[in-house]
Amino acid sequence: MEESYNRKMNNLNCSGCGVGGGMSDVVLECVMPYIHDPRDRDAVSLVCRRWYELDAITRKHVTIALCYSTSPDRLQRRFKHLESLKMKGKPRAAMFFNLIPEDWGGFVTPWVNEIAESFNCLKSLHFRRMIVKDSDLELLASSRGRVLEVLKLDKCSGFSTDGLSHIGRSCRQLRTLFLEESGIAEKDGDWLHELATNNTVLQTLNFYMTDLTKVRMEDLELLAKNCRSLVSVKISDFELLELVGFFRYASAIEEFCGGSFNEPDQPGKYAAVIFPPKLCRLGLTYMEKNVMSIVFPFASLLKKLDLLYVLLGTEDHCVLVQRCPNLEVLETRNVIGDRGLEALAQSCKRLKRLRIERGADEQEMEDVDGRVSQRGLIALAQGCLELEYIAVYVSDISNAALEHLGAYSKNLNDFRLVLLDQEEMIPDLPLDNGVRALLRGCEKLQRFGLYLRPGGLSDVGLGYIGQYSRHVRWMILGSVGESDEGLLAFSTGCPSLQKLEMRACCFTESALARAALQLTSLRYLWVQGYRETSTGHRDLLTMVRPFWNIELIPSRKVPTVNNAGENDFDDNPAHILAYYSLAGPRTDFPDTVKPLDPAKVVAA
Amino acid sequence: MSRATVELDFFGMSKESSSSSSKSKFLNRQRSFRDIQSAISKMNPELLKSVIASGSAASNKSTPDNGNQMSSNKSFSVPSTPKQEQPPFPALPVHLPLPRLNLENPLETAPLTIFYNGTVAVFDVPRDKAENILKLAEKGISKTVVEPVADPRTDHQQKLLESLDGDLPIARRKSLQRFLEKRKER
Repeated sequence: MEESYNRKMNNLNCSGCGVGGGMSDVVLECVMPYIHDPRDRDAVSLVCRRWYELDAITRKHVTIALCYSTSPDRLQRRFKHLESLKMKGKPRAAMFFNLIPEDWGGFVTPWVNEIAESFNCLKSLHFRRMIVKDSDLELLASSRGRVLEVLKLDKCSGFSTDGLSHIGRSCRQLRTLFLEESGIAEKDGDWLHELATNNTVLQTLNFYMTDLTKVRMEDLELLAKNCRSLVSVKISDFELLELVGFFRYASAIEEFCGGSFNEPDQPGKYAAVIFPPKLCRLGLTYMEKNVMSIVFPFASLLKKLDLLYVLLGTEDHCVLVQRCPNLEVLETRNVIGDRGLEALAQSCKRLKRLRIERGADEQEMEDVDGRVSQRGLIALAQGCLELEYIAVYVSDISNAALEHLGAYSKNLNDFRLVLLDQEEMIPDLPLDNGVRALLRGCEKLQRFGLYLRPGGLSDVGLGYIGQYSRHVRWMILGSVGESDEGLLAFSTGCPSLQKLEMRACCFTESALARAALQLTSLRYLWVQGYRETSTGHRDLLTMVRPFWNIELIPSRKVPTVNNAGENDFDDNPAHILAYYSLAGPRTDFPDTVKPLDPAKVVAA
Repeated sequence: MSRATVELDFFGMSKESSSSSSKSKFLNRQRSFRDIQSAISKMNPELLKSVIASGSAASNKSTPDNGNQMSSNKSFSVPSTPKQEQPPFPALPVHLPLPRLNLENPLETAPLTIFYNGTVAVFDVPRDKAENILKLAEKGISKTVVEPVADPRTDHQQKLLESLDGDLPIARRKSLQRFLEKRKER
């Protein structure tokens, strides 16, 4: 591989150009490998043909944001020597319940076929929200197993533990196996046994949130014994008392998530669990108040705490976070409440990332204090000045809260706020001024999410988002604006917006299409819940243009199970998905997804 | 042709369409009650009309205890703040099945009395409709209620309603959904 690289470099040197005008090839060879940022690389590749070729040979990593935007063949022709590849398939909405059809697409098969054939240098693969089959894993293992170091099947589905057994058996160089939130058909626990017996270099193992139950304690212990470099282990539900041996062997791990407390009435038993000394990132599933104290001895070391799946109340959160002055990342549900945020603001000055998810809606399933509002956000903004990421479900909100964030959270690069439906009246709507203040104050913002309700943001406010979101590249907007005018004002701004998701809005197809044309950086658009005004989506024709694929998921009834445990149907309104592609329209549509064919629409 | 819709403003709310460009707080919908309203408006309009007409007469009878926590023994003219001992319906836990006492004839109707903001309304409804209304009130934001008896809205009207109201329920992340379900079983 090294030889062919050098040969290529020599060929370029001998091509005889660039002696008088620009940098010599030798200099370029030395500089190019230090350029990593994909946008810099993109700029470099546009200078001239020779720089394009040099970039192509030396590019180590490529992220394909949507697998359908290009083809395996195109990737192979340009970046033969790729070492690391990441790609995404299904729309982000697929991680929510019952939105995107399971068979929507994003099959890895054509990519794995090409990888098996052409990409000789590939060491790291990351598939996100894609459909993976056991046969794909088997092919990957047999063709690249000897060199593969990183395999991430991230929120993927379609495979079983048999496929993982192939990986475990053949990928002896694997440093990272990441399966978090994937839908895996479980046949047995043999895959872990294969991994444990064939691998000695594993550093990261993650099958968190996978519902795998047949994993054996002996295999976990064997893995810990054999892989002395193990640093991060995140597993599915597994009784913590059975992990005592595992923790003893995995003495160097810094991160652990998963487990389970199946004997909460006997908290004393859990004193037998001795956590490894370097543990600083932790999440214990089903942890309750009466066993919480097992983390106290090392709470001051904790940098990351995952409380998404614990059974703690508001007060418990306060007690816990007050013991974690070095906390940098916290994930929890809104049971943390405003009081918990106030505790964070006081005690966790180093907090960088905060994610507050939505807990149960039923009153008695969560703490009565378990609601987050402007009160908590204001305290948070003032107390935690290093925040870079905030994602929060709030029950109440005010302009002042957003203004505080704009004033204090100067490092914020990712902000997402969802206003829940619990309160009927939100006095301080619309949030126009607050949103403007936040966008103006947080100059580093690149990702922005705002999900409100009718009246939450006026057309003027939507215009502010367009005006003041200079560097934002991704947005999700839900229930914002009042009319098409707002959307059109919005779309004259947002100069950096590449990916836009919208839900539950009142805009017409005509406005959506015009907005798509006006947003200068837009390459991906997803909309669900809009005003269908034209028959056959005629108004969407406005945005027909070369390389722009338009797909529809027509409205359907989705089977679900209601609160009484009965089979029921949810109405699922239509989706529009549009994206730039060099590969033409897809050829693998399921029944639920339809391409927008201008000829058919016009004829209808 | 679309069927007649009975618009009941007994909750004292102004209609959505009359203030489409207003930025006023009327846009802050009182969702749960509006959803009851929409569920009620899906019911057989003939039934509704006859019920409303006989409403005042019906409420003056003492309502039989049919296990429905909504019903009250108070008469129509009682002052607005309900001081009943039973909790108001939002506290009704959804996962507990409503006690089913009327097993012999599930279609038999019983009075459903709703106290709100100084007004009272009584409906004669069968058990399944009453349960649906209670579930809707419980949830606040509605999923579409499966109404076998009432005329269903057409698909188009449904879509229009949803798109106009932005009334899509906020979606839940799968991982959290599974956790919350598993938690109930513990």
